[in-house]
Amino acid sequence: MEASEFDELEFFKAIAASGAKALLIGRQALIALGLPVMTSDYDFWVHRDDVAAFNEAVAPFGLVPSHTPDEARARGRYVLENDEHVDVIVARSSSTVDGTVVHFDDLWARRQALPLDSSVDVAIPSLDDLILTKRFAARPRDAEDIRLLEALRDREPVT
Amino acid sequence: MTAPFVPPTREQLERVRALAERRLTAAELDAYVHAPWADGEREGTRELIDWFVRRYPTPLERLRAARRAYHRARARMPDG
Repeated sequence: MEASEFDELEFFKAIAASGAKALLIGRQALIALGLPVMTSDYDFWVHRDDVAAFNEAVAPFGLVPSHTPDEARARGRYVLENDEHVDVIVARSSSTVDGTVVHFDDLWARRQALPLDSSVDVAIPSLDDLILTKRFAARPRDAEDIRLLEALRDREPVT
Repeated sequence: MTAPFVPPTREQLERVRALAERRLTAAELDAYVHAPWADGEREGTRELIDWFVRRYPTPLERLRAARRAYHRARARMPDG
């Protein structure tokens, strides 16, 4: 499988320009922070009112939503796909494996802006909140990611 | 002499994926997360992070490098 001509910078620029409240979560957020883990998928948590704006922003990259915005809001999540795969949570809140309810608005208020270049930032949750999101799916690799995030938290700042 | 890379079979891949994708209980997750680090594991992890951010100083460089690495690895898989 060849890497498609996907331009990360233009992708994140388009999302930022859309004004959609979109948090990069999942392993791409870990990579951006400095953890050398493997993934190809993007995971976002998007404000439920911003689904259409988010879809419109990524449409020029050929990404097609699996559901309409109304359907996505009803389901709480959907997918955007072509050669790339983007998982999107649109729920107001989500629960960790031990029942802690995590609200999008709280994560958004505590978000950090990670500069990709001089013109665009990517919004990601705080380190503690990113660890919380890793407790949603609670797979073995999420446990490993939590250990890595905690190691990163104990380290000097990287950016 | 280094042995040549032998890709896993589809069955082996499926087994590993099933293990990696299963949902843990809260107790299992916490046991994994709080397991003691093996000798040198924490230092090794920090060295790996140090190397990654030194080699790829910006978030954008890291995202691009990880994408290239993923596609290199994917190309070597049975269904790649």
